[in-house]
Amino acid sequence: MRDISDAADLMTTAREALLRDLLPALTGERRYAALMIANGMAIAAREHRLGTDAARNEAARLRNLLELVPHDDAAKRDDKSTGDLSTLRSDVSAAIRAGAFDADEHEVGHSLAHTAADWVAISNPKALRT
Amino acid sequence: MIKDETLSDAVDTAETNALARWLEGAMHAQDVRVLRYERLPGGAIQDNFLLDVDIRGGKWQGEHAFVLRTDAPTGVAASLTRAQEFAVLRVAHAAGVTAPKPLFLCRDTSVLGREFFIMTRLPGVAQGHRLTREPALVPDGDALARELGANLARIHAIRPPWRDALSRIATLATDGEHATDDESVTIAPPPANPALAAIAEYRGWLDKLDDAYPALEWGLRWCERHAPATYNIALIHRDYRTGNYLVDSGRLTGVLDWEFAGWGDPREDIGWLTARCWRFSGADREAGGIAAIEPLLQGYADAGGIPISRDDLDYWQVMAHLRWAIIALQQAQRHMGGGERSLELALTGRIVHELEYEVLQLITRSSR
Repeated sequence: MRDISDAADLMTTAREALLRDLLPALTGERRYAALMIANGMAIAAREHRLGTDAARNEAARLRNLLELVPHDDAAKRDDKSTGDLSTLRSDVSAAIRAGAFDADEHEVGHSLAHTAADWVAISNPKALRT
Repeated sequence: MIKDETLSDAVDTAETNALARWLEGAMHAQDVRVLRYERLPGGAIQDNFLLDVDIRGGKWQGEHAFVLRTDAPTGVAASLTRAQEFAVLRVAHAAGVTAPKPLFLCRDTSVLGREFFIMTRLPGVAQGHRLTREPALVPDGDALARELGANLARIHAIRPPWRDALSRIATLATDGEHATDDESVTIAPPPANPALAAIAEYRGWLDKLDDAYPALEWGLRWCERHAPATYNIALIHRDYRTGNYLVDSGRLTGVLDWEFAGWGDPREDIGWLTARCWRFSGADREAGGIAAIEPLLQGYADAGGIPISRDDLDYWQVMAHLRWAIIALQQAQRHMGGGERSLELALTGRIVHELEYEVLQLITRSSR
């Protein structure tokens, strides 16, 4: 337990105040706007708690996938093998489009589904199914 | 989309006066008075206005409830012009499709600064979250699903070439109320292979974004490898889903938002209507959150629609989620990079994660 509210707690507490103190006084388009604001705050709070892990795990999974790609393609990546998440996404995307993963349907589908689920847990956990 | 609340504009403005003078000419009326002119909320891509008019003289004598449809300031890729949309709506209307009746097209941008057309205003509720949650609005979901299926089959009965589709309205429009330059309006020709054409188009859209999306690429690659070998080409709506049609007393009163219509594989429309991302509060009701899939497909088949298999549904639902994901990314980019700061657009970007998740679930299910 900490003494001072962190970003996630501030976001959560501000959202609770919005829903408790302001929402009952709003109707129509303003009510809709308040609900959107509450949704944005909830996502931000969850991303503050879970986003770092989600990004790190996604990067690890993407690196693992690139290991599956034949050596020729891997050679071109040598200079950016320490690439950030955005580079990894871009490399895997290009390899998928080129058909380099066609033989690894199970591994790739499983890996990408895992990552997608991590991000759904942040953006809209209600959409997760077991 | 038509909602109940409106933002009000003054009726006696330069804009409404210009509109009234133009309508007097289009309707051959002595005098047109604009009683109400209010922007309808909900149009991310098009601007829709509620328009009530009082007409004196000519065959339109009396009060009328219209909708005026024009371009929103920010256009979106792959959208028809208003003149094209007007022509498509006329073709659909002539084929017996339940939709607003298109009345007048104005291509003269000196009137309102943008092209626009005017159509009848239909009664009903369109909001998806209400239609899928309030039983009073849809007392018999199966019946509504059958109507939606039958109506879709009537759209899909319209086949290329475009000039043949147009010739049907030329023989019907004997009252001279329409703009006369339809012959100059065409739509894009039919694609050689609709699924592969869609995949190429979506990849082109992805390439214009700043980031890369492996899950969407994986979905597109899967669709490419499993593209249907055989297909029909018909007029398809491309946004035929809950939220884009009006329901009044439980009955379908009209399908809205024809800006994405064009030639394609009819199964694309079925996939879009049944995709989980368009079921709102009725996630377990495959037919648009309204009903199970069977009454929809029954209504479709009974009205002449082609047979739809479980594989067809899975394939085109994957396509639907991919299409919506990429359009959502385009909307997010308008917020992040396009100088159009908006919480709604920002939150639209965040739904991409659940769309990716659904694509991967569907592919896994379909592959086992």
